[in-house]
Amino acid sequence: MPSSARISRRNRMPRLLGTKLSFTRWNADWKSATSLYEQAAIAYRFRKDNEKAKDAFEKASKGQEMISSYPSPSDNMSISFNIPWDAAKHMESAGALAKELGLWNEVSDFHRRASEFYRECGRPQPASDALAKGASFLEDKAPEEAIKMYDEACSVLEEDGKEQMAFDLYRAAASLYVKLEKYSDAAATFLRLGSAADKCNAINSQCKGYLSAIIIYLYAHDFQQAQKCYNDCSEVQAFLNSDQNRCAMKLLSAYEEGDAEEIKRVAQSSAINHLDHVVIRLARKLPTGDLQAIKKDLAGDDGEDSLDENDLT
Amino acid sequence: MSMINVLIRVDAICRKYDKYDADKHRNDAGGGDPFSRLYAAVDAEIDAAIEKSERAARETNRAAAVTLNADVRRIKARLMEEVIKLRKLAAKKVKGLSPDEAALRSDLVSALPHRIQSIPDGGGGGRGGPADHNGGGNDRPGIKFDSSAENFDEGYFQTSEESEEFRREYEMRRIKQASMCPWNQDEGLDFISEGLETLKNLAEDMSEELDRQVPLMDEIDTKVNKANADLRKTNVRLKETVNQFRSTRNFIIDIILICVILGIAAYLYE
Repeated sequence: MPSSARISRRNRMPRLLGTKLSFTRWNADWKSATSLYEQAAIAYRFRKDNEKAKDAFEKASKGQEMISSYPSPSDNMSISFNIPWDAAKHMESAGALAKELGLWNEVSDFHRRASEFYRECGRPQPASDALAKGASFLEDKAPEEAIKMYDEACSVLEEDGKEQMAFDLYRAAASLYVKLEKYSDAAATFLRLGSAADKCNAINSQCKGYLSAIIIYLYAHDFQQAQKCYNDCSEVQAFLNSDQNRCAMKLLSAYEEGDAEEIKRVAQSSAINHLDHVVIRLARKLPTGDLQAIKKDLAGDDGEDSLDENDLT
Repeated sequence: MSMINVLIRVDAICRKYDKYDADKHRNDAGGGDPFSRLYAAVDAEIDAAIEKSERAARETNRAAAVTLNADVRRIKARLMEEVIKLRKLAAKKVKGLSPDEAALRSDLVSALPHRIQSIPDGGGGGRGGPADHNGGGNDRPGIKFDSSAENFDEGYFQTSEESEEFRREYEMRRIKQASMCPWNQDEGLDFISEGLETLKNLAEDMSEELDRQVPLMDEIDTKVNKANADLRKTNVRLKETVNQFRSTRNFIIDIILICVILGIAAYLYE
């Protein structure tokens, strides 16, 4: 097969030409080595030899990194300005191939390095995209790692002031938290979404985020938190005048009255139907647990008072 | 200065410095039973709440006004609970208490809820009160929500002729509609409102998405403009180079080749 012959030749060439120092070669010639590695990697990927392709991409990326950190006066302006753009791209491809191979720690490693390279280039958007892609690869197998990567991606965007792109990431991170049953973290993520939306004046997303947080607290059967969350969110003028506020008010009052039918009816309303599908599923499952227990909690304070009253006399 | 003025001023000063009156407090705290103690405490709280609400009304900073009103509301809620306790205490028999005083106490307790509710708390804004469907506070002063026991006179509950007519018309319309179309007007309106809500949500999402993409489009615009300019420059340079390359050298090559060919032809034909 001609392509395999070409590939094996190409694979040998970098080693011959490139990186090893020898008697006649005093400096490693990264440039030609890198281009050969790139060609080899593409050829391997075409042949679906994932293992070798991944290695080749890794080496190509290393080569690009070397090129960009030791600028030569001759060639492109981009190289002398120290832009490891290609290094980042190769790292990303290597990460995608690692996912095919199922090497999960390498996936996260590669994507993190790719995002660092992008950040060196001064392009935060691709940096967070790289992290997000890595996180989505890891969602099933290593959710903790995936959540950390989503978190980093969101902070990269926040630092740069481009929070609008971060909404999707917040939603993905929150749905992961819900899958892991960490409800308070999920609600906190939605509140972060709300504050990011506030900065970009995206009022609809902000209100939807607040409503989702309240629903998650209610699902976790934490009525006091939900109440507190609602009161905090009502400080915001934009939330106060929105449909979502009315829906939250109805939901909380239905909970206070212990009216399960009303809760189910509110959960079918259209304001909830436009939230994230994970949250819709949670809302449909409300009310969880014992409504009477909530009522007893609310009335619990009065019970204590009656004890005090007896002590007075 | 007239006597009235003096009296009013003395009263105001006494009220202001009441808290420093040690004798009065000793009397209140030491003597009396739990009822009078609790009643005095509730009284003091009501006065504090009234003062706070007055401060809130004078406050120009909206946020501070909101917090003060929230405070007042919380105090009112607490006081309502205390009233329940007071009621129970008042009902108890305490020795050394004349029946008149007992009656007086129950009167005082029943007057308390009214006093508490009458403390102004910024006019019931969007928070609290799940029964408040207006959602934004009362913008029109002419509209009253709870009619207090003012006009419940004879004619208030009587049906007048007009109202009878309205009722008859309503019934007739209902019958007509029920016979003509299967849906009620109300249900139709509900259906329409659901559709409108869906549309509204979709439209809001779309608008946010577009907002997100506007700066991206601007970036694309700048980059494409730059690429365009670069291409034009390159094109111009290329044209110059090609022209240069063509003009001098091609001529000479052409002439030489023609001579060579003529030479070969001459040689062949010789």
